[in-house]
Amino acid sequence: MQPFALNYARPAVELEATTPYVYDSGLQLNVLMDGRVAAGDLALLRELGTTTSTAGSKTHFDD
Amino acid sequence: MTVLILTCEEDVTADMVVVHLNASGVPVVRLDPADLPGGVALSGEYVHGRFRGHLQSAGRLVSIAGLRSVWVRRPGDAAARAAQPSAWLTEESAQALYGMLLGSDARWMNHPDAARRARHKPWQLRLAQRCGLPVPATLITTFPQAAREFADRYPDLVVKPVSGAHPQDPPRAVPTSRVAPDTDFSAVAFGPTLLQRRVGKRADVRLTVVGERLLAARKATAQDADPDDPGSVDVRFAPAGIPWHPTDVPPRVADAVRSYLREAELAYGAFDFAEDADGTWWFLECNQSGQFGFVEVETGLPIARTIAEWLARPGPEPRTRVNGSSTTAC
Repeated sequence: MQPFALNYARPAVELEATTPYVYDSGLQLNVLMDGRVAAGDLALLRELGTTTSTAGSKTHFDD
Repeated sequence: MTVLILTCEEDVTADMVVVHLNASGVPVVRLDPADLPGGVALSGEYVHGRFRGHLQSAGRLVSIAGLRSVWVRRPGDAAARAAQPSAWLTEESAQALYGMLLGSDARWMNHPDAARRARHKPWQLRLAQRCGLPVPATLITTFPQAAREFADRYPDLVVKPVSGAHPQDPPRAVPTSRVAPDTDFSAVAFGPTLLQRRVGKRADVRLTVVGERLLAARKATAQDADPDDPGSVDVRFAPAGIPWHPTDVPPRVADAVRSYLREAELAYGAFDFAEDADGTWWFLECNQSGQFGFVEVETGLPIARTIAEWLARPGPEPRTRVNGSSTTAC
């Protein structure tokens, strides 16, 4: 009784690593532990994949 | 006037836009509806024929009349983090928040009504056809026989979710996947199934449109890609080795996607195309809230800055359309 499309489903991959930044409500930005704005470190964002289109993510259904 | 951003705290992609707004000196209030009530508070008064409303978050107070634009980016469900969450409280909070905001003259990226409609893939396919974009032959059906006959006509097919959503119990992803020629289609009766002619692609294209501005990126398909590998069919599962590069948009495509966004009443859209061997861009979908951070990070395309510029345009536009229909101001 499983819908056809679910024959092609696979376990969702969620980001396992803890992001090395935390939201600062005063700045309204996420900041790294050394105080730098996370969005300014493009190499880090690329490495973390937190800006990536992710199929099956609970929070990024519309990517 | 202030830009209101509705998104979750961990949305570092939104940060990329906030940085530009800050640099321009444009006031920003960022909040997550999940924190209403609690970290987010609101009040609106309808007295003597006038409305006065305010939002408060993290010590910032903003008048709803003072909003120049609202960016609906990755908001949580209203009241999701309330002390005693419930479906009723979520509905109450969403009605209060979005109801007040919808009464403002702020410009939306994207308007909730337009966004809701634009999420429907069948609607997207029809609009793309009307706008002159090539759309691969597609069937959405619960008739197994219709699926078999479609497979006879188009032997090389892919299947993908109609909604673009993925099951969460347990969490699974449903990538766009190639369908084998001898597949048993009887399970089509158990759920609407979207089958589409597979485009033999030489590249994927992500075209991000912000207002009238087009920012396109292209990712070549690996020469040795196995066509049965989900990574070669669905770019989200493709190996990371091949980078995205900026690319030009063919003039006909540019005209068509601008028509699409106008018809859809969207200020932002992320289009996915498959480029075939002839260089034709085949429309796959348009995500009204599609992710753009990874494109900017890889290509340097100034998407965040362009969004910030759109949000920062001064003053609200006169309200002339509501939910797709022309209206006359009272």
